[in-house]
Amino acid sequence: MKETAQIRPQAEVRYQEELAALAEADKGNKKPLGWKLSPRAVRDFILGREAPLEWNGREVRIQKKYLGNDTLVERCIITLAGNRGLMLVGEPGTAKTMLSELLSAAVSGVSTNTVQGTAGTTEDMIKYSWNYALLLANGPSRQALVPSPLFTGMEKGILTRFEEITRTPAEIQDSLISVMSDKVLNVPELGDEGLLFARPGFNVIGTANTRDKGVNEMSSALKRRFNFETVQPVRDVKLEKQIILNEVRGLAQSAGIAMEPDEGAAALLAATFHELREGVSSMGHRIDSPGSVMSTAEAVSVYYQTMMSAYYYGDGAMDMGCMVQNLTGAVLKESRDDLEKLKSYFSTVVRDKAEREGGLWKSYYEARKQLQ
Amino acid sequence: MEELLRGAEAAAVIPFDYGAPCLYFPVRHHSPACAWHLRRAIQRYQPDCILVEGPENANPLLPVLADPASRPPLALYYSYRDSAGLLSEEKESYKCYYPFLACSPEYAALREAAERGVPCRFIDLPYGEILLATSGEKGLRSREEKHAYQDDYLLSRSRFVALLCQKAGLRSFEEFWEKYFEIRALSMSTEEYVAQMHAYCLPARQETPQEQLEEEGCLAREAYMAQNIAKAREEFQRVLVVTGGFHTWGLLHPQPWQRSHSLPEGSQGVYPMRYSMEAADALNGYASGMPSPGFYHKIWSILESETPELPYDKANLDFLVAAGRSLRREGFSLSAFDEICAMDMARGLAELRGKSQPGLYELQDAVLSCFVKGEEAVAASEPLRVLRKLLTGNQVGELCSQALVPPLVKDFDGQCKKFRLKLQGAMSQQVTLNIFSSPRHRAASCFLYQTVFLDCGFAQRQKGPDLLRGKDRNLIRETWKYKWSGHVAAALIDHSVSGATMEEACRTELNQRMARVSLAGEGAGLLVQGFLMGLEDETQALTEKLEALLAVDGDFFSLAEACRHLNTLWELQDLYRQQEEDRLPRLLDVCFTKLAQLLPAMAGVKDDRLDSCIQVCALLYRLSAGGPFARRRGQLLDALQRLTEDPDGNPALHGAALGLLYGADPQWKEEVFRTCAGYLRGTRERMLCSAQFLRGLFSTSRDLVLIDEGFTAMIDGLFARLTQEDFTALLPELRLAFSYFAPAETDRIARRAAALHGKDAASVRERPAVTAAQYAYGEALDAWAAAQL
Repeated sequence: MKETAQIRPQAEVRYQEELAALAEADKGNKKPLGWKLSPRAVRDFILGREAPLEWNGREVRIQKKYLGNDTLVERCIITLAGNRGLMLVGEPGTAKTMLSELLSAAVSGVSTNTVQGTAGTTEDMIKYSWNYALLLANGPSRQALVPSPLFTGMEKGILTRFEEITRTPAEIQDSLISVMSDKVLNVPELGDEGLLFARPGFNVIGTANTRDKGVNEMSSALKRRFNFETVQPVRDVKLEKQIILNEVRGLAQSAGIAMEPDEGAAALLAATFHELREGVSSMGHRIDSPGSVMSTAEAVSVYYQTMMSAYYYGDGAMDMGCMVQNLTGAVLKESRDDLEKLKSYFSTVVRDKAEREGGLWKSYYEARKQLQ
Repeated sequence: MEELLRGAEAAAVIPFDYGAPCLYFPVRHHSPACAWHLRRAIQRYQPDCILVEGPENANPLLPVLADPASRPPLALYYSYRDSAGLLSEEKESYKCYYPFLACSPEYAALREAAERGVPCRFIDLPYGEILLATSGEKGLRSREEKHAYQDDYLLSRSRFVALLCQKAGLRSFEEFWEKYFEIRALSMSTEEYVAQMHAYCLPARQETPQEQLEEEGCLAREAYMAQNIAKAREEFQRVLVVTGGFHTWGLLHPQPWQRSHSLPEGSQGVYPMRYSMEAADALNGYASGMPSPGFYHKIWSILESETPELPYDKANLDFLVAAGRSLRREGFSLSAFDEICAMDMARGLAELRGKSQPGLYELQDAVLSCFVKGEEAVAASEPLRVLRKLLTGNQVGELCSQALVPPLVKDFDGQCKKFRLKLQGAMSQQVTLNIFSSPRHRAASCFLYQTVFLDCGFAQRQKGPDLLRGKDRNLIRETWKYKWSGHVAAALIDHSVSGATMEEACRTELNQRMARVSLAGEGAGLLVQGFLMGLEDETQALTEKLEALLAVDGDFFSLAEACRHLNTLWELQDLYRQQEEDRLPRLLDVCFTKLAQLLPAMAGVKDDRLDSCIQVCALLYRLSAGGPFARRRGQLLDALQRLTEDPDGNPALHGAALGLLYGADPQWKEEVFRTCAGYLRGTRERMLCSAQFLRGLFSTSRDLVLIDEGFTAMIDGLFARLTQEDFTALLPELRLAFSYFAPAETDRIARRAAALHGKDAASVRERPAVTAAQYAYGEALDAWAAAQL
């Protein structure tokens, strides 16, 4: 795959250099069987490293990629090295998928071995299916078998990601149970050769969403095969601002937009999302929280949309009117009531902040007529 | 980071030399590693005197703490009464605790000294003088609920610490401490450990501004301790000084300091007391000592055992298994495999984080990861709650028999034993008392009321007759919940001045409180309390004071309260097997006369006090129904009549008074009908008051409606004339008014009203009664709402 032809290159491509430098420095360290890096190097890859690494005669900085709970990342790494799968749960937009991608890239060097769970996922998508032309021609054989990501993970000893596991029906999810405890997959059609034993390095990272509509419960038998980690939304406004800036910078870079994000606007957006989510403003106002999910990922997309408008249509400066329009789009997903809540947020909190802090908040407040 | 911690400079600044005539050993309170190294240092140094940081006025009590029969957790309780006004004009009392756990280095020093037979002393300023050396509202004088003598916060709160944790990638000071000063300490030599301790404490001290040290009395204390050390050095050859690591530098470089005041004799007190792990952990909120004492206690007991290797690893395993067992007992499904995974997790995390053994934080992470299934939420976090409880521990200490326990505490313990109240364990206990049938139970109830009166926080009545509020008087059993804690002992010690036994202390304080009371209602309340505590003879003496109070009290509601309390006592005389006496009727008579005099002036009473006003009328009416107060009936009826004559009077009170008058003399029926019609036909404002009037009326004479069919017809006729709108406005108050009837009575009235319109009950009732399922749902909803609140 060529990097230039991709909207979003996968983690192992994006951070190729960092991974190589870490692997180089990690030589000789103890690694769990089948892992590309030692647990400590995996942690450094995700949480960053202060001192740069020497690699190919250059200095490579390992940047912090996951901003949030550091100890959670440590627990995730140790879980993956152990006997159980890792289940990341939490509200939408809390970077569960990103974390799972980074973990797979660091541990196995591949983050694409993924089952994307939907309501239509079937058991053969999880285990294996057949190339029917070959099957009819030659009978059951390994060549005719189409391996699933789980099959591949076991065969190669790499991590299998199972995205949105709770979107698949509970009985389909349960096909994982015996595979996860016995670490063996039986393909009865292949007869004596039909037993696939998982190679060391295999494990499953699931992500599950707890707040969206239309998700299924997990059976307790399956739950027992996983260690659960709850990814909380970012509770620190400063950190949220930093995440918005980092993400938007990355997005702009890959889209070839030569424009540096504006810190003030990011701070303002972070504050808005934070306050709407928490139900209380930094000045102490009590706020009705909208029903839709006010995740950091939403904030990033609001910011990025506004930035693109500014880049292509505007004068390169963030337009508050446009931002308010995009914000409306982000909030107004579940019901009309949310718009009223957003309006009252503007007529109280934003008004007071405009009075006290002026500047960007003032133009933000003036743009409130875009709320419709 | 680690290079700095092992840095040679600190060791050069504060030498640690076993050959020196004086050895300074820095500690952190409740740190098992400190205690472990301290013991090794004592064995090696062989001191002939050990000096410990602690207020020196506790010196006579040290043998009690060090006695092998005493078992930690223990605490010294210091108190100071500022009766001379040296600290502030308010002349307040001050107190603080100095807790000792088994793993406290100070405790280890005391025990070692006792075992070796070498003298051991506290060297700090006496508690009162520390307070004097502290500026207002700083340090030990700050306005906090609870004080601990130890002052770790200087170590853990500086900016330096925040930076250190950030650099080391650790979440808190406590985790930092555990990693470098607990787990790692066990593989270090004592010299290395002390050097590392100084390397940490010196910058922390440097970071603390001089003014803060001054204001908090730190400098004065250090100067005093240095003087004491110098004195001991003249006397002994090998002196070991055990103080908080923060102070060592100050002890070596004391500031000039002079004692400015001398404290008045008897203003200070110090007592040894039993303490609980729970209290020791709660103290952590005030930053003294380490968190989760149960965990570190475990570490210490493993270090003390025959196989002291890998104490943290063993403790992790023990706590995981204990948490698992406790969860399974509560019906949480958890397998041995979960426990295996958790142990793997703890070890893996320790390795990842560069710790040689998993510590407290790995244990917590392991439980969170492997025991909590599903999303982390209140419901799913049961394992964390169980673990927290285990980490705190539930041990309660024990004092040796020679302990100088204040007589009041001894009496308390004795009574608890007598009534078989359990003082061991940190769980609350429950006891049910048949106060009317068993004299023993009545005595136990008196004792429990005494502890309530002294505000010990020991017992709480859950169910039973509430004489003070006049509620649940029909109950014949009392249910109490009680729990011993350090506070109880502290409160008792505080009250020791009042007497040597519970009864004596209560007597003294009852009299003291009575002397301060200015309203008759409060005075009578004290009388009831005295009665509950079984101090009837005392209440006799109090009556005189109450009589004087009644004579001067002109407050209607205070008198009403007094009347209620006195009536309660009078009524209960039989029930509680009291002897007939005449003082109560005498006092009641005074109340009655005064209330009857004041009653007509209450016509315009505000709504918030209306109920108590009506209750007084009813009470007086009841009292005068017979017995010694029958002769007062006429006086009361006069007063009530005058009450009804006020045209601007409160309608509800008006109704209540009319109801009582009707009860006394049926002739009043006509007047009741007339007034009722007057309200309902009156101008709109008055009409809106009619429901209130009815409410008052029904509260005192329900029989009027039940017996007299004419009344129902009259009311019905009047309601029929109201517009829909007016009726709706009246409805809420009307509902309230009819709530004075029992459901069966309401049904009867409704049936009669329906008959007036030619209907029967079935045709009126539009909705069927609530089904059992609906009722159950409602109850569940209620319970849920209550739980949410």
